[in-house]
Amino acid sequence: MNAAMPLANSLHRATVDALRRQAPFATMAVDEVLWLVQRLSVAYHAEHAVLLEPDHARPAALFIIKQGAVSGVTADGQAVFQLAAGEMFPLGALLAERGVANRYIAAADTFCYLLPAPDFHALLASSAEFNDFCTRRIASLLEESQRAVQSEYALALDDEQRFARPLASLVRRAPFSVTPATPLAEALAAMDAARIGSVVVVDDAGAPVGILTLKDVLARVTLAQVPLATPISAVMTHAPASLPDAAPVAEALVLMARQGIHHLPLVSAGSLSGVVSEKDIFALRRLSVDGITSALGRTDDPARLPGLAHDIGDLAHSLLAQGMDAENLTAIISSLNDRLTERIIAFESKTDRKLTGLRWCWLALGSEGRMEQTLATDQDNALIFEQADDVQREALLAFAQRVNARLDACGFPLCKGDIMAGNPQWCLAADAWQRQFTQWIDHGTPEALLHASIFFDFRPLAGDASLAFDLRAWLSRAAQRNPRFLHQMADNALRNRPPLGIVRDFVLSDDQTHPHTLDLKLTGATPFVDAARIFALAAGSPQTNTAKRLREAAHALHIPDGELADWNRAFHFLQLLRLRHQHARQRAGQVPDNHVDPDTLNPLDRRILKEALRQARKAQARLAMDYQL
Amino acid sequence: MIWPFARHRQPPLDTASAARRAALAALAAPDLDQPLAALRWCVVDVETGGLDAAHDPLLAIGAVAIEHGRIALDQSLETGLAQTQITAAANILIHGITDSAQRAGQAAHAALLDWLEFAGNAPRVAFHAGFDQTVLERDTRTQLGLRTPAPWFDAALVAPLLFPAVAPRCRHLDDWLEHFGIAVYTRHGALADAYATAQLWLVLLDAATRERITTARQLQRLLRARRWLSLH
Repeated sequence: MNAAMPLANSLHRATVDALRRQAPFATMAVDEVLWLVQRLSVAYHAEHAVLLEPDHARPAALFIIKQGAVSGVTADGQAVFQLAAGEMFPLGALLAERGVANRYIAAADTFCYLLPAPDFHALLASSAEFNDFCTRRIASLLEESQRAVQSEYALALDDEQRFARPLASLVRRAPFSVTPATPLAEALAAMDAARIGSVVVVDDAGAPVGILTLKDVLARVTLAQVPLATPISAVMTHAPASLPDAAPVAEALVLMARQGIHHLPLVSAGSLSGVVSEKDIFALRRLSVDGITSALGRTDDPARLPGLAHDIGDLAHSLLAQGMDAENLTAIISSLNDRLTERIIAFESKTDRKLTGLRWCWLALGSEGRMEQTLATDQDNALIFEQADDVQREALLAFAQRVNARLDACGFPLCKGDIMAGNPQWCLAADAWQRQFTQWIDHGTPEALLHASIFFDFRPLAGDASLAFDLRAWLSRAAQRNPRFLHQMADNALRNRPPLGIVRDFVLSDDQTHPHTLDLKLTGATPFVDAARIFALAAGSPQTNTAKRLREAAHALHIPDGELADWNRAFHFLQLLRLRHQHARQRAGQVPDNHVDPDTLNPLDRRILKEALRQARKAQARLAMDYQL
Repeated sequence: MIWPFARHRQPPLDTASAARRAALAALAAPDLDQPLAALRWCVVDVETGGLDAAHDPLLAIGAVAIEHGRIALDQSLETGLAQTQITAAANILIHGITDSAQRAGQAAHAALLDWLEFAGNAPRVAFHAGFDQTVLERDTRTQLGLRTPAPWFDAALVAPLLFPAVAPRCRHLDDWLEHFGIAVYTRHGALADAYATAQLWLVLLDAATRERITTARQLQRLLRARRWLSLH
């Protein structure tokens, strides 16, 4: 008999042993698991039986699958996840004390242990391990996937000098700490006053025994509705990871990435000597958005620009490693590329006397026009000018070609489709642009629609922006006047189906050049981009950015907020996968592309990818409904 | 309805035990017409010193309760009975209840009082229930002079009724457990077997509900009809 369980009978002991074979029970104290076991009951659900139904009622119990399998099914009948023996549900609903979002159905004959909700909350409060496990599990899937990436990147980081310096050199202020008995209200107020993201809990000797970060507060205090009079020790992360302050920075980096933590207490002779945050460490990197922006502004030697362009790429990689989301990251890449392009344009226009007195505007098209550039990006640009004679026209064209060549030297390859300002076809006066656009709108041939999808995302980058704004205003009116054109655009967009299979998860390409892959750009991100463009044109919105277009159009089209948020999340996840994939290829010395073999993704990313493509299908369904296709 | 059974000579009880026995004697029979899900069931397994239900000594009782259609783990009974004579029978090889374990159990009357209080008036369920019923009622009578009116349900008879297609391949408890993928944490431990039988009973209750059997009374009638059919 186990000494820790004198009162337990053989059934209790056997159940404790069975549960302790899996997380989080494996690391919990025996008496905590026994406490749990003595509150469990066992229920049977035959295959296809419904265990939980989405309604407004809070779930009455936590389910732990003893044997069998349970599927989560959405309102429209799609199975979104499957849980196996040892898994628990519905954690999110129990923690947030709301109804479940999905229907839970037994996917096989299933036995579950049930823990009544009040006991679940009691265990959450009494067991740090259980609490940690549950709150970490609901941290969104994306966050989990992000952590995996960060860890991978951190391990690959170069061991440059700056990462060899001691952690103590990063500490900028005396550490802020509280005792375990400090009420939450007091600790949180102090954190707020000191503008810090974490508080370390120390014992009488000053040694760190716990940590609470602002992020923890959401799940463990706010959502769990823990009274603020509770001592901080009840909700803190116990025995937080820490390092001696003499340890090198690189060690902290790896530890933080591996454990998914953003704050690390430092100890000196056993007591707390400081706290470093992930921000402190990444600030060490020479590259920053501000740094590159000011370097771009300072340099008056065009020969230095390719080097700075290279820095933009490096910065993008490091921001990716820091876990920046795709929406911000693509916007940063685009705006830095804008600064670089502006700089090149300034060099080339200032030194060219033939341009003096002319009104022109450099237009960014395609992904740059949408502020959605990834790492693999070629040039898509055009020039618009006011009336000009042939000599002036020649001068503008020569100027544009010089800019194209310099951009090429900076690592933005010339456009394969020749959609560049240096092409006479795309270096036009304002009225010529209107004629060109009118022709595309009226004809609706496949080529016209393709051009429209690139050019209609134009955005002024340098020069006289009013030329671009006037063209945009004209285009909005022209597109709205011609519903047939939008209908054709929608029809064209729907030909491009997200590659979700009926039998298998994904429909993969069987072409020779990229076998067994799917195109994250064409069949993943593009359905959202196309839908957003059509919504924006229909609503007369001047936006070119996909997320902004969706947000603006959603209002006009009465798309529910929840649906819109799902679309944007899905779109940005697809963008993030593209960025990661391109980064990995660049690191391996390959040309970045968008062809990903889903089998190379981890199960979590595969699951999110599937869901993201499903959202793409939903956006298309909306388009089909609007245009009766 | 439980009544004293006076013809047997029974050992004298201490005051506390006598009070417990009196409370047990006052228990009413269960209402077999309430919905299956609302009924409390007591699933039991006994270990004995041999296979002769009429004579071999009762060594251990294991039982779990099913309430609201679920096995409640906190409500489980595991008790060994102290033996005046050590059983040397070959059965020990099966149960593994050794010499010292046999002596270490509770006094027989105390173990039986625990069992009866645990079971209350819930209908009893066992696999090959005839054996468990005979042994438990025998000792309840000799030790406490009580007769219990709670009905017994035999999972070994109910299972073939609800799963006729599987029945030809399933004779023993192990066969049924294997068919439904139910593991036994220690085979031939009274509580472990009772727990496994209880899980089987959950499967059977679910199947019964789907066969539109809604009360224990209906199940009882069905079993009687089936027995009548097999005899005639």
